[in-house]
Amino acid sequence: MVTAYRTASCGCCKGWLQHMRANGFQVRDVVVADLGAIKRRLGIPAQLSSCHTAQVAGYALEGHIPASDIKQLLRKRPAVVGIALPGMPLGSPGMESAYGKEPFTVMSFTRGGSVQPFSAHRS
Amino acid sequence: MTTRLHRRQFLFLGMGSIATVLAGGAVVRSMQASSRGSRPAGAPRLSSSAGELELDLVAEARAGTIPGGPAEVLTYNGRSPGPLLEVNPGDRVRIHLQNRLNQPTNLHFHGLHIPPTGSADNVFLRVAPGGSTTYDFTIPSNHQAGLFYLHPHQHGVSADQVFGGLAGTLIVRGALDRIPEVAAASEHVLVLKDFASGSGNPGSAMGMGRMLGREGPLLTVNGTLNPELSIASGGLLRLRLLNASNARIYQLALEGHTMQLIATDGGAIAKPEPLEELLLAPGERADVLVQGNQRGGSYSLQALPYQPSGHMGMGAMGRPAGSGSTLATLRYSGAVKPLALPMALIPVPEMPAPERTRRFVMGHAMGGMGSHGMGMGFQINGASFDPNRIDTRVELGSTEDWVIVNNDVMDHPFHLHTNSFQIVNSSEQLPAQRAWKDTILLRAGQEATIRVRFQDFPGRTVYHCHNLDHEDLGLMGVLQIDGKPS
Repeated sequence: MVTAYRTASCGCCKGWLQHMRANGFQVRDVVVADLGAIKRRLGIPAQLSSCHTAQVAGYALEGHIPASDIKQLLRKRPAVVGIALPGMPLGSPGMESAYGKEPFTVMSFTRGGSVQPFSAHRS
Repeated sequence: MTTRLHRRQFLFLGMGSIATVLAGGAVVRSMQASSRGSRPAGAPRLSSSAGELELDLVAEARAGTIPGGPAEVLTYNGRSPGPLLEVNPGDRVRIHLQNRLNQPTNLHFHGLHIPPTGSADNVFLRVAPGGSTTYDFTIPSNHQAGLFYLHPHQHGVSADQVFGGLAGTLIVRGALDRIPEVAAASEHVLVLKDFASGSGNPGSAMGMGRMLGREGPLLTVNGTLNPELSIASGGLLRLRLLNASNARIYQLALEGHTMQLIATDGGAIAKPEPLEELLLAPGERADVLVQGNQRGGSYSLQALPYQPSGHMGMGAMGRPAGSGSTLATLRYSGAVKPLALPMALIPVPEMPAPERTRRFVMGHAMGGMGSHGMGMGFQINGASFDPNRIDTRVELGSTEDWVIVNNDVMDHPFHLHTNSFQIVNSSEQLPAQRAWKDTILLRAGQEATIRVRFQDFPGRTVYHCHNLDHEDLGLMGVLQIDGKPS
């Protein structure tokens, strides 16, 4: 079960929720007023932030992460707080666009502040 | 006055070829005129004479010279920023634009009140690679004095070209410049612009892509890192600031000094407004006086950390938080009899009551209608930009209130072409004084009401987000101004 937090006005978060459901995840969609408080509670580094935040099996998830990366996270169970796709790259799940695609890298982060590439996507 | 003759067309090809240009006597006088108010690493100043300004403007890529900066910079006449143009109301301006880029381009005369049609401020013109066109217009005889901004406005590639380096400035001289205290100040035009680092755009790897708007880590002033500005103890500086960045918003402060705002985007305000900090979004200009009231030393013009959309709890959304950066250094040299600040500037009239109110809601969503079909894009009132659709139709001579709503999770600076407006209401703090604006920053969740009178020029033009990546991704609407010119 993925619990996803987003603000009401976000125009792309729902697209990511659909992507997750289409890839077999059960998703609880929670609309909040203060997403910043959720990010702080889950320990998302500010420079990795995106428009929505989620939790799965004790891991924090930030942004439009592909479901395949989340499945890999759950298989490997690395000692990290979570993984994040900062910003809102065009072409990432929920951000598909006729305007084009951008390459992107999903990052992992630890409580100690280490940020490492988790998976690179040419999109 | 500073106007000197150079009626012939000529062409600056960067520092290396200024000697060639200097061979023309008329041009020598122009260059001498430009020495008034030393400009840190400033671009050549081209001033009108006998009511005319005519020049070639070549857009082309050149090898970058910013230390640590990109290998290639897009230039006008070999420079980024390109030339500083200086005109008077009533002058005829002819600019022969040559496109030596590998993609189409055009010109927008940001903030100028000139026709949005024909060969004037027509953003629907398209100059193909290798092509050229002539912009030809007259500055209205009642045009306000101010600093205006030339940049490409080719939908789909405007952000690439502005982020790449294309920018120019245009000063309209007038009543503000003749106020004795203002005239006594030494004037510097400061073009603020960020560039990508030479190691490539870290943006894409870290998610700082087009949806947020590309920013670069190198913060330049007039194309230079940390230039020096000289001030005498007792002296007065007039800093004319332009944010020519693609997406970066500057929270500016000048160490040890209060800035006295004397003009906003469209011209002077009624009296100097003291500011400890100045927020400048892409496309915005601010004209400030700085008194040399310290005994000596060096002080930095700083870009303080700005948190886009911070109050929505979004944090920096993919941007490093960082600390303040030094943009330029103010260095004391010598002393003069203290120069005073002006007491009064130019009154800003109250606008007539609006005849109607419209609402414009900015956001991003899937499946917006527009020329790019389905998919993620930015929208105004649920529609992405389509050059073949008129979104808003107004009557020439009418006054309207436009409620601009940022319903998005990020900042949007809203810019209207052709006519300046006044901000009459806001969910955040209103400006302390009535002021002429053409660009207004709306933070996530903010709404503001602008009052605009559609004067003098009928035709088709646009309003859009001046985070130009957002504009290219659809955040633009078409405005049709119906009527006959008086």
